[in-house]
Amino acid sequence: MKYVTDDDLTLLYYGEHDDPGLAARVAGSEELSARFDALSAELKLADEYLPPGRGDDYGSHVWQRIAPELSAENTESKLNWKSWLSALGQPRFSLAGVFSLAIVAVLAFMLGRSGDPGGELSPLANTPGNSLTLLGEVDPTRLLTQKVSGHLENVNLVLTQFVNTPEVSANAAEFATDMLVTNRLYRRAAAAQGNQKLEMFLAGLEPLLIELAYDAQSRSPASHERIQREISDGLLFRVRVFNQQLAKTGQTI
Amino acid sequence: MSQSEQKIIRKAAAGDRTAFRELVLEHSHSMFRLAWRMTSDESAAEDIVQEVFIKAWRNIGKFKMESGFRTWLHRIAVNTAMDYLRKQTSRRRYEAAEPDWERVQEHGEVGREDVRIDIRAQTQEAMMNLSDIERSALLLRHYEGHSIQEIAQILELTTSGSKQAVFRAVKKMRIALRPLVTA
Repeated sequence: MKYVTDDDLTLLYYGEHDDPGLAARVAGSEELSARFDALSAELKLADEYLPPGRGDDYGSHVWQRIAPELSAENTESKLNWKSWLSALGQPRFSLAGVFSLAIVAVLAFMLGRSGDPGGELSPLANTPGNSLTLLGEVDPTRLLTQKVSGHLENVNLVLTQFVNTPEVSANAAEFATDMLVTNRLYRRAAAAQGNQKLEMFLAGLEPLLIELAYDAQSRSPASHERIQREISDGLLFRVRVFNQQLAKTGQTI
Repeated sequence: MSQSEQKIIRKAAAGDRTAFRELVLEHSHSMFRLAWRMTSDESAAEDIVQEVFIKAWRNIGKFKMESGFRTWLHRIAVNTAMDYLRKQTSRRRYEAAEPDWERVQEHGEVGREDVRIDIRAQTQEAMMNLSDIERSALLLRHYEGHSIQEIAQILELTTSGSKQAVFRAVKKMRIALRPLVTA
């Protein structure tokens, strides 16, 4: 009998599981019922994420604000809707992206330093109350492994999407660019830790991420198909397998 | 979609402002809830709602009756909210509701309302720690009741991609909220 994963239970919770017998199976098993109840209780807390209330006249208020903006012309758009949706994805290299990458950069730098076998930690690292002290208490290799695993999950998601869609969205361009920069930072951190296997694997991903980012910008069908083939011909599989290995070992690969 | 709504949409697409006003009145609350949950910012959510309807007015002629009008509006809202978030210099600049810690210290106990506020604050924080795609997917599934298939359309993902986004969001939220269940 197939093992019931938490993802299966999530689909069941939202009424989207395609196995009609799953509900009965969960109901008939103490272990599965307990897991399902835990998931339900945790997700129920999300109901507390309540927006501030708006009065009954909120719709009228919105109308009053936008009415002057609406032109009297026919609503046939000057731009087609696909193009403006794509335009919403710009600028590709957003400030939010830069901000998040800066955090990754700092983390990668610190991981690299704390894992550098030939280097010494800054004297500040031993100062009580300094955040570097906390970092020194965790296993930097394990921390890097966890971070890279999350990164590879993102890569897997975007590659899967890329392979299965006929054209690239503006969002994909931004993701690919962000992932490329993140990938480089983690590769450097792995190099600083002396983790050659991880470094080489991440280095192997870079050419494709560069092409992906470029392709998302150029939107050339020929290039898109070529990269799709390259991904389907084993890269996606390698990413998944490598990430599974990372998740299993939780230590240096 | 009901026939009466289709009729209103056709009128609006033909330039009938009164018909479009009906759509604004009908969907404003829903758009605000989605925009606020995306941004955790009341003022930004108000701006996003207005922008959504202006964009909807300009593009309603392109709307195909095959999908729901609400789904179409949600797609505009999610994209507009993501655009807003990208423009923010400080992405995490949202104000989470905090418990009244002074009162807690004075009385030496946490009241039910304080616990409730704490749960709300932590839920909000957990939600804002999700990636934009994960948060959108979860909001559309959990609060708006969209199917995985509809979420894929709204977010321009594959069905598998939208499913994975929901799974990842759920996993992260569970980890963040688990301590509150046992508390």
